[in-house]
Amino acid sequence: MQVKVKLIGAFRTDRFKENIAEYPDGTRVEEIFSQLQIPKRALGTVLLNGLHARLDDVLNEGDTLTLLPILGGG
Amino acid sequence: MKSLTTDPAANPAAILYHRCTVDLKTGELRYTDVPCRNLEDVLGGFGRSFQDLAMRQIDNAYCDENPLIVNTGLLTGSTAMTALRTYFSGYSPIKGSKAGRPAAMWSTGSGKFGAKFKWTGLDELIFENRSEQPVYVLIKETVAGPQVELKPAEHLLGLSTHAKIMALQQEYPNAHFAAIGPAGENWQQNYMGAVALSTENQLKSKQDKCRFAGRGGMGSLMGYKNILALVAQSRDKLGKVSEAVKKVNLNVIKGGGSARLQPISRGGGGGTWAAYDVLQAFHAVPVNNFRPQGNAIPEKLFRENVEKEYDIKSEACYRCGITCHNNISEKGADGSKGEFLAKFDYEPLNLLGTNLGIHAAGEAARLIQLADNYGMDSISLGVTISYLLAYNERHPEKPILNGATFGDYEKIRELVIKAGEGELPEIGRGSMRLSQATGETGYAYHVKGLELPAYQPETNPGYAWAIAGGHMSMATYGLLTREGKSDLDSWVKGITQNKLHMVGFDMIGLCKFFDIANGIGTQMVVDCLKSEFNLEVSTDDIRAAVRRAFLRGLALELRQGYTKAEFCLPAEVSEDPNSHINLPNITSSEFIAQLEKRVWEIFEPELEGILD
Ligand code: SF4
Repeated sequence: MQVKVKLIGAFRTDRFKENIAEYPDGTRVEEIFSQLQIPKRALGTVLLNGLHARLDDVLNEGDTLTLLPILGGG
Repeated sequence: MKSLTTDPAANPAAILYHRCTVDLKTGELRYTDVPCRNLEDVLGGFGRSFQDLAMRQIDNAYCDENPLIVNTGLLTGSTAMTALRTYFSGYSPIKGSKAGRPAAMWSTGSGKFGAKFKWTGLDELIFENRSEQPVYVLIKETVAGPQVELKPAEHLLGLSTHAKIMALQQEYPNAHFAAIGPAGENWQQNYMGAVALSTENQLKSKQDKCRFAGRGGMGSLMGYKNILALVAQSRDKLGKVSEAVKKVNLNVIKGGGSARLQPISRGGGGGTWAAYDVLQAFHAVPVNNFRPQGNAIPEKLFRENVEKEYDIKSEACYRCGITCHNNISEKGADGSKGEFLAKFDYEPLNLLGTNLGIHAAGEAARLIQLADNYGMDSISLGVTISYLLAYNERHPEKPILNGATFGDYEKIRELVIKAGEGELPEIGRGSMRLSQATGETGYAYHVKGLELPAYQPETNPGYAWAIAGGHMSMATYGLLTREGKSDLDSWVKGITQNKLHMVGFDMIGLCKFFDIANGIGTQMVVDCLKSEFNLEVSTDDIRAAVRRAFLRGLALELRQGYTKAEFCLPAEVSEDPNSHINLPNITSSEFIAQLEKRVWEIFEPELEGILD
């Protein structure tokens, strides 16, 4: 299946802004997240098709996954 | 601070803090060791000052009975990372109820002044009355204990915050400084004066790299008292860092708390500036007076775009490994670093940039620099100007003041300068008063008279119960955006339980970035108190003290004449919902009515007797 992955802020450094790639059916958010080698402590929010989602959510064909750093305050 | 107990929660009176009370009218000084009333007193900061403010009925911020209280937190000047905070408290000239009475307020900043102040041996300085002549206050360490002196300060009049600090540094090379700018000196016309706090970096580089205690006009109150600066002169007295505190400090750096704020080169988010990217994902970056347009315009001030043209350097306060400052300098054609411009923290950058329709980094930087040099709170200043621009946009046939509109840099710059010089009370007295004068209050973005920080109110109904700056005293600003919570139960719990604990940092002397997610009721803080002072305090005791301090703040607001109806968001939020913000709507009239009911049901019984 095809999934679009969007990265926000510092996550883009040495990675990409937006990338469409093929993943096996049943892939979970956390599998893509760990492939990207982003430190877990830096992850703030996961959006799936614009809605808040969790790392153990399963992706579907055509989904857009957005990974956001933690919102810092002040 | 004298400690005659190891159990301050059970025996607070056995902890005594050292206070100097200065009568500015007579010059009389009184030094006292004051026994603590409770754990809030022991922790310090606003936890202590609000108890003293509660003992006075003040109807006008500019009166002799309104004190200016300068104090530190228990951990200020300790080996714990970020332990640099100084607190300025008093009844605020800018934040007030519709009944016309000023709210109790505190403001805080880092830099090294707080640690130096603590190392003089003083914990608290209370200024009573006002001085006839401009003075600066020298607080110095002597063999006989801390000594306070009032010194003539005519030579400092009219200087910028930075220039005052530079002038004083010539005279006191081993000291640190807290100074107001021209805005604070013009306290009659400017209620948003800030206090600048010197940093090591500033004193070494001679560049205007201060930190600020900006909120609530404490710089204007200092100006009213005719105090232009404070000088804290002492040796550096940092103790040896114990193994326990080393572990805590490492956790501050490596743990989740500060990751987002560390430099990008270290895998962090690059300071608070990173909020631009995160909020833009929801189209929730304030644009043109808090009306995001659902477009890419805020991206112009994204770091990745600014760094193409400007040099960005991550810097830090004394000994702080979080390194949250992003200092922006001009960049030469050959990539060399040019003139230092300003620091890019999220709030000033947005509120003096995108939210005014200013999208060029250099222009935003110049406005921030001006606000800092005049010593004005960039949040109150930016939001008051954005209100004016919105008014002029709605009334093109009859604009007010200089007719500035969104994006008109030259005219906005003129407004900032004139406000700083005390020539524009319409701006200097804040958005609540300006909007009352125009009669169009619905799009003035303040809550309880204090301007909102750069988080859309649509994302944070918790602002209504914040007791100081909206984001520094109620950590609900990420509950919807970051955590995705849009149900009533989560919001009631956030406001009445876990998110109010953020105010604890403004008691104990630490930056919020020490552990922004958890507050101060943590084992890390318990370990620091044990190691630094041999105090045994439980996390539950700390959390209970923080809650009491917060509730005291709410009770003080009600006592100063706020009605419950004033605990509300700007009317535009519910009257004209912004469909561009890509988040669930949690500010409908129905949701807010339910939230108010349930929050007050929890808070109200606890407020009874809290000021006795
Ligand atoms: S977190 Fe930032 S403001 Fe706080 S002490 Fe560290 S560098 Fe200074």
